[in-house]
Amino acid sequence: MLLQLKNIFKWVNSGGQRIFLLKDINLEVEEGEFISVMGPSGSGKSTLLNVIGMLDTFDEGEYNFLDESVHTLKEKHRSNLYKEYIGFVFQSYHLLDDLTVQENLEMPLLYKKFKGSERKAMVADMLDRFNIVGKKDLFPAQLSGGQQQLVGVARALIANPKLILADEPTGNLNSQQSEEIMQLFKKLNKEEGVTIIQVTHSEKNAAYGSRIINLLDGRKV
Amino acid sequence: MLSVVAASKNSSIMFKNYLKIAWRNLLKNKGYTLINVGGLALGMAVTLIIGLWIQDELSYNSYFKNKEKIAQIFQSQTFNGETGTGPAIPRPLEKALRDGYSDNFEHLIMCSWTNDHYLKYGEKSISRPGNYMQRVGPELFNLEIIKGERDGLREINSIMLSESTANALFGSEDPIGKTIKVSNEHDMNVSAVYKDIPFNNSFNDTEFIIPWEKYLANNEWIRNAEDQWGNNSFQMFVQIVDNTTMAGVTNKIKDVKKTLNENSAEFNPQIFLFPMEDWHLRGSFENGKQVGGRIKYVWLFGIIGAFVLLLACINFMNLSTARSEKRAKEVGIRKSIGSQKGQLVYQFLSESFLVVLFAFVLALVMVLLSLNGFNELSRKEISFPWANGKFWLVSLGFILFTSLLAGSYPALYLSSFRPVDVLKGSFKAGKYAGLPRKILVVLQFTVSVAFIIGTVIVMQQINYAKNRPVGYDKEGLIQIPTFSQDFEGKYDLMRSEFIGSGAVVEMSTSSSPTTQIWSNRSGFTWEGKPEGFQEDLAWTEVSPEYAKSLNLKIVEGRDFSREYATDSLGVLINETAKKYLGMPDPVGKLLKDDDEEDPGPPLKIIGVVQDMITQSPYEPVKQGIYVYDRFNNGSYYNLRLNPDQSAGQNLAVVERVFKEHFPDIPFEYEFVDSQYGEKFASEERIGTLSGVFTALAILISCLGLFGLTSFVAEQRKKEIGVRKVLGASIFNVWNMLSKDFLKLVIISCFIAVPIAYFIMNGWLQEYPYRVVLKWWIFALAMLGALGVTLLTVSFQAIKAAKANPVKSLRTE
Ligand SMILES: Nc1ncnc2c1ncn2[C@@H]1O[C@H](COP(=O)(O)OP(=O)(O)OP(=O)(O)O)[C@@H](O)[C@H]1O
Ligand SMILES: [Mg+2]
Repeated sequence: MLLQLKNIFKWVNSGGQRIFLLKDINLEVEEGEFISVMGPSGSGKSTLLNVIGMLDTFDEGEYNFLDESVHTLKEKHRSNLYKEYIGFVFQSYHLLDDLTVQENLEMPLLYKKFKGSERKAMVADMLDRFNIVGKKDLFPAQLSGGQQQLVGVARALIANPKLILADEPTGNLNSQQSEEIMQLFKKLNKEEGVTIIQVTHSEKNAAYGSRIINLLDGRKV
Repeated sequence: MLSVVAASKNSSIMFKNYLKIAWRNLLKNKGYTLINVGGLALGMAVTLIIGLWIQDELSYNSYFKNKEKIAQIFQSQTFNGETGTGPAIPRPLEKALRDGYSDNFEHLIMCSWTNDHYLKYGEKSISRPGNYMQRVGPELFNLEIIKGERDGLREINSIMLSESTANALFGSEDPIGKTIKVSNEHDMNVSAVYKDIPFNNSFNDTEFIIPWEKYLANNEWIRNAEDQWGNNSFQMFVQIVDNTTMAGVTNKIKDVKKTLNENSAEFNPQIFLFPMEDWHLRGSFENGKQVGGRIKYVWLFGIIGAFVLLLACINFMNLSTARSEKRAKEVGIRKSIGSQKGQLVYQFLSESFLVVLFAFVLALVMVLLSLNGFNELSRKEISFPWANGKFWLVSLGFILFTSLLAGSYPALYLSSFRPVDVLKGSFKAGKYAGLPRKILVVLQFTVSVAFIIGTVIVMQQINYAKNRPVGYDKEGLIQIPTFSQDFEGKYDLMRSEFIGSGAVVEMSTSSSPTTQIWSNRSGFTWEGKPEGFQEDLAWTEVSPEYAKSLNLKIVEGRDFSREYATDSLGVLINETAKKYLGMPDPVGKLLKDDDEEDPGPPLKIIGVVQDMITQSPYEPVKQGIYVYDRFNNGSYYNLRLNPDQSAGQNLAVVERVFKEHFPDIPFEYEFVDSQYGEKFASEERIGTLSGVFTALAILISCLGLFGLTSFVAEQRKKEIGVRKVLGASIFNVWNMLSKDFLKLVIISCFIAVPIAYFIMNGWLQEYPYRVVLKWWIFALAMLGALGVTLLTVSFQAIKAAKANPVKSLRTE
């Protein structure tokens, strides 16, 4: 099992009231799954994804990732864990504006202390696989939305994560661009066994996945 | 091991990477970069130049290799319960120290004061300051001999010249062995030429050295002083032996005068070593205690430098955190793709390092461009230490320190963002840093306002003292030194010649310059003198026309007159002396010499003159007497120029007349008012320098404020657009943007005023004659600060307010 959430609660206090963002979430994810999270706006999809990605904390419950109990880990260990195993893809791409495509791809490798020659090879490989060799010296602002998201996915993948978390990865793209990204996810999932959890509003995109989780008001339905 | 290498290689790649990003960032935000680099450069330039100044002050006298072993012998004596301390010592002390304590001293020399003398070779005649010294002087001071012999004072008729003096006299000729005339009287053979003693040295003035024996041979009074314990007219310098300390030697010799000369015991003379290391910076004594001195200015400027640097760093901090919204997204992304907080801190510090590095280069350029002007202002000869390795090492430290000072807070602040917060897009980072930023702005303006107040008060005090009535008319009065024998017996002739020429309306001689007291006397008795009173009177010997030539008012009795032969034993006293001597009706009273063995004739008071400032313009006038110059002791001619002609015309005539009578003596003169002006030089320098630094401090603070406002205006562009669409006027928007900053500056004013009041009030206590602090000085400084702030802020605010709202809304 890749990860397991047990009775996860998350809340904020506002005006003396406890507002629940996540309520009693139980979830088990096996390696190689492709999960789509759906639900109306404000239902807690992003919050759930951030909790899974360890970017955000929760208030109650247990979370085990690769048999490590995340809820007992210190901040630093937790970030080491997600750095090692998780890649993020964002709706608004979140590329570093001041870096070229190539440099954006290289950045995670630098943080993970790969050697120079290795980095070069891995970056070249990614550029190749995503068919963006010609764009390697351009800055994000010089790319279309779809191209930016391609780079975003490439960056999430470059350090060989076990899990990719994608929050509305196609939210800013047109249907043809969405299609491409979804095909890419499917291929990664099928051919390389990468586990994927994506948030989406589109039934069509959700259908690429092997399982759908529906949220309503922070609760799994 | 391998992993260590890999890690360090990796971190250097990271560093390169960070610098690359920083560089792109700097290029992208040119305005911000300009303000940041420019402000930091200004601050660093100020700090650098102050650093050079401090270094120069601290290295004073470092030309002497044995600096820490050399001392001057000082003496403290107590009169009427007040202890005075100074370098003047009596001649018998030499024998006492040589006989009883010689094993403490490596060297010991007697030395004259530094006085101007005429030096003549062939047709060339110049006037230069120099000293008489005992033979080991050049050894003790480690003079660098260029030509001739180090032991150049062996022969009584030899003279050692500084390089520039030798050049002035001999040009390209070899001076060694040549004979020159000193004071138009004595033939002396040049035995050596020494390298000029540098500017920042106590002996910078010593342009020639003549053997002490010659001093004795030339002057009977000095020979007579050999066993006069009361004649404190000489200087002595020593170098102590290696295994002793200054304090240790002082401890042994402190009572030597008291013990050997019982008469002096009532003044409790204390003999002590005043170490060379203290001469320049810690040369003030108060009631026998060393109380610092110039070192306070070293501290003052050190503090100013530190504050100015801090102000510049605050700009950097505020602009960085204000821009944090722009950087927050980057922080979030970097964290989500694997960066640790430490790595981000490192990244932001690399950025500040880069900015500081640029600022440093710019600061160097600024320093180079302003060094000449600064030298002139501060009367220094500081040269840029290009070749000094230590300077560059310190500079590197300075760069790192500044990077940390400016960069630490932003780095910690920026790197602490949580990715979930910032990536959600709802993040408004600016507001979290609001309070620290406000505090920093308040700190900046507190310092600036305090600087303004301080500078204004210093200037006021100087003006106040400058406007103090001096008691005589110093305009149109010149002084000509008459140090050599040539002038003896020529006074009456010269007076009639000068007046006859039409360029001079009155003339006198005096034994000291108008603006100084050279001699003090005691040993008088008079009617009604209190028992045990130890008087101390300023003593000036003058020709009968003294008061007339100075336009010094007689307030009681009458002036000297050549018609009464008895006036040669008459004296004029000043108003303070009248009070000091306790004589309500002084005219006709006698001042008797109380020497029991050989009393001089009594002096009769014939009149009281108005007080005139001869010493510090900040202190009360000292009690003084003006005695008829019976013995040709005049050192200066005082010439009242003809007010109906131009000064240039008068001077040309005076020079011609002078040269007719003294063809061998260089014509030198000084205007008394400019000489008087010298008394303010030190304070004026401090005033001007702190004025300049204050202006820069304000400029830096305003630069930061300018950056902040433009940033806030940018940040609130959309809001401003919406407000304008809803009907806000330009004034409303301006008000909205300026109000916050004005509030901060007002708070600063209220913090700065009491601090500045406290400090400046303390500073003023040093001056008995001082300006009264008025509330409007503080009000003015506050208004000034507010005005400058308003200008700075309004520029951006109005620009933002005038922008077309449709445009700003559409781009969002
Ligand atoms: N820090 C917070 N304080 C208060 N409420 C919060 C906070 N963070 C999230 N929420 C609330 O939690 C709920 C879930 O937010 P979340 O971003 O997870 O929704 P979502 O399902 O991703 O919606 P969308 O489809 O619009 O992206 C929302 O109602 C949001 O307002
Ligand atoms: Mg969402």
